[in-house]
Amino acid sequence: MTTSASVRLVRRLVLVVGLGFFTLWTLFPIYWIVSTSLKPNAEIYGDAALWPRSLTFIHFDEIFNQTRFGTYFRNSLEVSVLTTVCAMAIGVLAAYALTRLTFTGRTFVARSVIVTYLVPGSLLFIPVFQLAYTLGLTDKALGLVVVYLIGTVPFCTWLAISYFNTIPHELEDAAMVDGANRLQSLLFIILPLALPALAVIALFAFTNSWNEFLFALLLIGRDSEKTIPAGLAGLINGDVFQWGALMAGALITALPPVAIYVLAQRWVVSGLASGAVKH
Amino acid sequence: MQNARAVRALPARRSRARDVLGRDWKPAWLFLAPLLVVLLGLIAYPFFSAIVLSLEYKMVGAPAEWVGLGNYAELLWGPQYSPIFRHSVVVSFLYTVVAILAKLVLGMSMALLLNEKFKGRSFMRGLLFLPWAMPSLIVALSWRWIYDGTPNGMINLIRIDWFHAKTLVQFLANPDYALWSVIVATIWQGTPFWTMMLLAGMQAIPDQLYEAAAIDGANVMQRFRFVTVPQLGSVLVVTCLLSTIWTANSINFIYILTRGGPAGATMTFPMLAFDVGVTGARQMGMAAAISVLFFPIFIVAIYFLTKHMLSSEARS
Repeated sequence: MTTSASVRLVRRLVLVVGLGFFTLWTLFPIYWIVSTSLKPNAEIYGDAALWPRSLTFIHFDEIFNQTRFGTYFRNSLEVSVLTTVCAMAIGVLAAYALTRLTFTGRTFVARSVIVTYLVPGSLLFIPVFQLAYTLGLTDKALGLVVVYLIGTVPFCTWLAISYFNTIPHELEDAAMVDGANRLQSLLFIILPLALPALAVIALFAFTNSWNEFLFALLLIGRDSEKTIPAGLAGLINGDVFQWGALMAGALITALPPVAIYVLAQRWVVSGLASGAVKH
Repeated sequence: MQNARAVRALPARRSRARDVLGRDWKPAWLFLAPLLVVLLGLIAYPFFSAIVLSLEYKMVGAPAEWVGLGNYAELLWGPQYSPIFRHSVVVSFLYTVVAILAKLVLGMSMALLLNEKFKGRSFMRGLLFLPWAMPSLIVALSWRWIYDGTPNGMINLIRIDWFHAKTLVQFLANPDYALWSVIVATIWQGTPFWTMMLLAGMQAIPDQLYEAAAIDGANVMQRFRFVTVPQLGSVLVVTCLLSTIWTANSINFIYILTRGGPAGATMTFPMLAFDVGVTGARQMGMAAAISVLFFPIFIVAIYFLTKHMLSSEARS
């Protein structure tokens, strides 16, 4: 009796201490973003304060009214939505062919999808950079959409394949007997059944494009075409950081992917585990 | 499609094409066309042009000059590039191995805690997975501000306020600390991915295995060692390989935090390739050669992952 009571106590202690540690570890950088965005400059620089003594929204005013953050935000939204739509369309069509149709080369194409998904980005970076210049994709927010297909299409296709595999073939066979063609069968039988899964794939594609910044920084120089990452980088003048405004911008930028994740958490986690999605 | 019906109506005439190319070859390749454009045009073509580029002397905006294996020779033995290349090999290795090991240990601990039953478990999961959901640019920027070398940076501020420190620590500007500081930031964002994968793996382990082990008198450590770890085997391997490919090749954190400095202390090989090819010397041929030299390591990981993912697709 006493041993089981002490085992329970130890278990409880480990749980509380462990979770307490990980909570602090997870929250302290987030606290620093939020508190910096709400502190007046006097408490960010000069007489710096770990716990804000007064709160102000001046940095949010700065980021919206003294920079073109609104434009950057709209560009980011456009690029991410368009990338998502294109990657989804390409991925869903391909996944249908790879799971439902019989043809020579099926395994080879499926394998290619995985391999291209895993090819290290560092290897492609230089030539893609060169290609983007040759194709004239620089200085256009929409040029980024083409580049972002590299990162999104293989994994959208792969996730769609694993979801389509769970839908029974019989449903579709019935429709085909009734004279539906392949496209109709995909649009009216498979897609409605895969709707929740498609939403998850779309969320991944969206956040992937929303978060990308290396190509955004390098390919876009014109202010009116910048996405948020390139725009935020513009707030850094040499070695001078306007940390208040920067953290206010960071907070707003983090909100869409975090909100999406909080709302769709359950599906995101199971989708991730089944498809081994990019982190 | 109409063609498919035509095929059915005229089996004799079309049968040879169907035998070779498969029953649905026409709609199949039609549906695959956009994917193939992306795979071939945006991935395969750049991949092979990286290899060709690595055999050329090519400055941005100037015509290319064929140098054969000259770039590779320069990287491995040359006076100008071989010292920095060798240094980047060491830095990349340290960076990747330390980050992966830490993510494994922290991710496993987090997953074991979250696998226990307690009140508020799903809330805690949502909370601890937050770093994964945040854009890496934002994470990197906030760590740059946390590490700031003035009395305003979070860690220096804490050292002064709580521990009355008299000196400031230059986390990112001191060559002795820079690499470790960058690694800590990548661990912060990368750990939840491991936790999610391991947690999903743990939940697939049947309870009977633990019950049987408990009846045999196994204690907590023994149950972990002889039930959890072996059952997680393939999840561990897959997560480790994926995380290795992504960690080793990503320059997101290094680019924002240190750009490879100070004095090359955080110059991993992709950052070096980026620096040589894009932002610094703009020698694209040399940059391509740096990336290509590392590729064989990743081929092994890609081979195993592809095999694993295809076989798990076949099972579902």
